Amino acid sequence: MAEMKDGAEDIIVCRDVHKWYGDFHALRGVTTSIKKAEVVVVFGPSGSGKSTFIRTINRLEEHQLGEIIVNGIKLTNDIRNIDAIRRDVGMVFQSFNLFPHLTVMDNITLAPIKVRKVPRAEAQQVGNDLLDRVGISDQSDKYPAQLSGGQQQRVAIARALAMQPNIMLFDEPTSALDPEMIKEVLDVMQELASSGMTMIVVSHEMGFAREVANRMIMFDLGTIVEEGPPEQIFEDPQNDRTKLFLSQIL
Amino acid sequence: MIAGAEPINNSALRPPHSERGFVGWVRANLFGTWYNSLLTVASVIVIGAILLFGIRWVISDADWTVIATLGGQMIIGQYNTELACPSQNCFWRPQASLLLVTILLGMAWGVAGGGLTKRIAIGISVALAAFALLPYSFERMGMDVRLLLAANIPAVGLGWAIARYTPLGTGRGIALSAIAVFLVTLILVHGVPNVPGLEPVPVRHWGGLMLNLLLAVAGIVISLPVGIVLAMGRRSRLPVVKLLCVVFIEVFRGVPLITLLFMSQVLVPLAFPENFPQNSLFRAGVVITLFSAAYMAENVRGGLQALHPGQAEAARALGLPGWQTMLFISLPQAIRNVIPAIVGQFISLFKDTTLVYVIGMLEVVAISRAYIQGNTEYLASAKELFLFLGLVFWVFTYGMSFVSRRVEKHLGIGVR
Repeated sequence: MAEMKDGAEDIIVCRDVHKWYGDFHALRGVTTSIKKAEVVVVFGPSGSGKSTFIRTINRLEEHQLGEIIVNGIKLTNDIRNIDAIRRDVGMVFQSFNLFPHLTVMDNITLAPIKVRKVPRAEAQQVGNDLLDRVGISDQSDKYPAQLSGGQQQRVAIARALAMQPNIMLFDEPTSALDPEMIKEVLDVMQELASSGMTMIVVSHEMGFAREVANRMIMFDLGTIVEEGPPEQIFEDPQNDRTKLFLSQIL
Repeated sequence: MIAGAEPINNSALRPPHSERGFVGWVRANLFGTWYNSLLTVASVIVIGAILLFGIRWVISDADWTVIATLGGQMIIGQYNTELACPSQNCFWRPQASLLLVTILLGMAWGVAGGGLTKRIAIGISVALAAFALLPYSFERMGMDVRLLLAANIPAVGLGWAIARYTPLGTGRGIALSAIAVFLVTLILVHGVPNVPGLEPVPVRHWGGLMLNLLLAVAGIVISLPVGIVLAMGRRSRLPVVKLLCVVFIEVFRGVPLITLLFMSQVLVPLAFPENFPQNSLFRAGVVITLFSAAYMAENVRGGLQALHPGQAEAARALGLPGWQTMLFISLPQAIRNVIPAIVGQFISLFKDTTLVYVIGMLEVVAISRAYIQGNTEYLASAKELFLFLGLVFWVFTYGMSFVSRRVEKHLGIGVR
């Protein structure tokens, strides 16, 4: 486990965040803050709002009450603020969501070229370095469908990193993978964490959480029921719901 | 080894004999059961009879002279008559446009560098040049016409050279050249006032296949972008934009094209300033294009609807603004997925151009029909004439369908 960064500034602040889907109250007052270079693993039963929570951070979901501040910018309906935050917050999805009509290299360089106006040659240089970093440098001309699930997810990570974000969100990044491919993705994420990236990871990979996370957050029924460092969550959970949930998945 | 246990054999085996080869296929698919055998024999007899009598009729009984007599009228209608083009020969103008199209084909070959595009380009130019050898008298088909037809072969080479040795040799260069060729064609065919040799030919004299092709090309090129805009409008979150698009689509899809064509002669003039130059061809073109765009919009919307929402989400999460997400992520995938439907609409549009006969335009079918009605000695040749017209349309539509299948294959649809 990386050491806690006590003195660091809060990079994400959530205060009493509420979200409804129609009449369904999905987030019921979430308050937490995340420090620079912190790695937070979010877990909890399905339907507990953990995915919704991280999707509000880059405004893929809109919250209706409370406030969210990312990199010092308050999330409002102002589209310029939203686009600015999205440029600095990378996201990795459960189902990869690579663009199937583009090559691996084009998947990675599209956003830097179109959004950050990076010259193509430079973007490809960065793309090659990133593919190297995630361990698939020889696949840049292939299409996503020609890669294995684990390779696709590593491309998705490289694609998010190409925008040089300072925060990475992972929404169940290994849930759609075969067991033997989970490790290759987790290794990349572990390397990323040790490089000082701020990460929020929705995952039930408890081994990863124990080794890499600074903090774990347990969600249930749209609220945070417990949070703390992994050793406390695993060895001495305070909340009955956490105890029950952990006993079922461990 | 445990007694009685067999060694595991997991090496790859060949499929059983019955699955292999021509004989295996025939046995499995044509003579699998007694009723399959019966159906096979019956089908062979029926197909054989049709082929036998059909081929015999085509070769010995049918009288194809009507097609030779009609000749150039099928291609350009009344365009080159004394009435349309007094005291001069105007046939060279559509022919020059054809040469420009051949140059485009040559450019496509130059960019593609060979393969199917090369074969299509050479095949079409040689076929066009072959018309120069038709056994007509020189009174009916002059040397100038023959030379311009033969020029299609050098034209394809010229196009190839342009693509190879000038900056126009890119996809974008071809697209821009194609637009230029279409505009030049319109100017050439229409004519320019007070320019000797290019005296304007009134649109009411345009006709034949030339008319069908002009309407179809304009309709195809314009209806796709209009349809895309309508499809995006129908998915818009802005209620007024959405309502306008829905009303447009439903109105143009809900009214028969013939009705729209009749209405166009009365209604389209109201939509343009009084002194805006327009004519019945322009009005028909507008209506056919909008009619097709309404269908196109629904095809494209279907493609957008079928996309996984995660695609747009991933693009937005990368910071791409909405319009770039649409342009680079959603539309390319949506259009790829509905290429068969879009090409179906193109084919439909091409065939629908024959309907302009209802507003008195002599497109290829109308002029052929008018010809046999006006020349009673050919009344008995209606069979041959309409069979031939059917074949002409089929050649064009099958060409479109063939190219679309190659494009689909090239884009790798279905292997995702």
